[in-house]
Amino acid sequence: MSTRINIGPVHPSTHGVLRLVVDVDGDTVKNVEPHIGFLHRGVEKLVETRMYMQCPPYMEKLDYVAPLSYDEAYVATVEAALGIEVKERAQYVRLIELELQRIASHLFFLGALCNDMGQMFTMFMWVFEDRDRVLELLQEATGQRMFYVNMRLGGVTMDLPPDFGENCMKLLSHLEKRIGEYQRYLEKNPVFMERTKGIGVLSAEDAKSLGVAGPVLRASGISYDVRKAKPYYVYEKLNFHVAVEHGCDNFARYRIRIMELRESIRLIRDALKKMPDGDALGASIKLIGPPAKNKIVTVSRELPRGECMMYMVSDPQRPYRLSIRSPCFVNLAALNHIAKGERLADLFSIMGSLDLVMACVDR
Amino acid sequence: MKGQGYDYLVKITAVDYGKSLQAVYFLRNIAENKDETLEIDLEYNDAWLPTAMDIFPAADWYERELMEMFGVAIKNRIAKRILLEKWDGIDPPFRKSFEWDKDYRTGVE
Repeated sequence: MSTRINIGPVHPSTHGVLRLVVDVDGDTVKNVEPHIGFLHRGVEKLVETRMYMQCPPYMEKLDYVAPLSYDEAYVATVEAALGIEVKERAQYVRLIELELQRIASHLFFLGALCNDMGQMFTMFMWVFEDRDRVLELLQEATGQRMFYVNMRLGGVTMDLPPDFGENCMKLLSHLEKRIGEYQRYLEKNPVFMERTKGIGVLSAEDAKSLGVAGPVLRASGISYDVRKAKPYYVYEKLNFHVAVEHGCDNFARYRIRIMELRESIRLIRDALKKMPDGDALGASIKLIGPPAKNKIVTVSRELPRGECMMYMVSDPQRPYRLSIRSPCFVNLAALNHIAKGERLADLFSIMGSLDLVMACVDR
Repeated sequence: MKGQGYDYLVKITAVDYGKSLQAVYFLRNIAENKDETLEIDLEYNDAWLPTAMDIFPAADWYERELMEMFGVAIKNRIAKRILLEKWDGIDPPFRKSFEWDKDYRTGVE
């Protein structure tokens, strides 16, 4: 006998507007069907009516937890279509900002994951304090706190302020200490361990065939990170490892984020040391000539939630077609497979471990 | 393709070139770090594709997106329900024939 339960569209654990139709037998999940599309705004169609550099603000709203990453992925696509080289200092500035964004996003993940497991708001408040400091630093660097729109063709809108390096280093050592604390708190917490270890197992084989992205893929033991596989900017010159876990469960997915937080800190430190002086400002929009008609470019970027691929067919005035491969979309598509056979209560910790942003799923 | 180690489907999408429609498959060989793009030209008025779900389960949602947004029929599979939006099959929204000013509301909820 199975019972059908409707969860959402608005539910405290659904990370946005998402409706789940769950078939349960007793407490065991038999089938989950995510109903998406509540936040579908047709961004891919919308950009066809806008000029190239009018689009970054739309891209940022795709993922409001890590807006800068989408902004950068889009601008990099336009740069590829136009054949523009990014200035060397600007490459470092972008990299530092992207990694700060990744830290902010992963900290948010930790809070949201604990919320989903019923450890209401303790962790959430702790990580928000730290995330806020990262956002403040990004505000110093870009002038905005939430939606930065800091990328210009060939560079950035604002160079880093003179005291940025010092402030950033201070923040990084503070964060490093805090991440260690979080890890100790969580991994000594029996509730957290019970609800993550061995829950939501996704084998390497299935992860590949379901096409999951980013941390979820790496938590299943597949070492694929766009930053290493197809290095962009100065990632090649800097020291970092790809975080890989072989646990395949919720715990491995949490662990990947902790490891990536540490790697990001390492990357930023290294980048700050090696960053050259010079000009980082991007060109004004009027200076750019139109790209050729029907030129096809594909650009991949490692966002905090996984790989985003932008496929653009160009036109002289505006994108002819922009197709966005959203990491959350593929990860949510795999939810049914991961949650089958688990307890209903664990469905939410699994969703938390996938780190979904619904705006990114629906586009 | 899968026999050659291309076992990861990155994305399926389509482009409307005005008179022709093109479906694009992005495949990846993770072990050897190679990417491959397959472009398939479709009939504009009677676009269809065979399903790739038996080879790549990841194709599920992408194929449904193609059905809704480009009006591409996927053979040998049933669209279980709407994925993103309710469109009545006339003028699929991501095709260039879609008119921005037209009122497409059909009275369906």
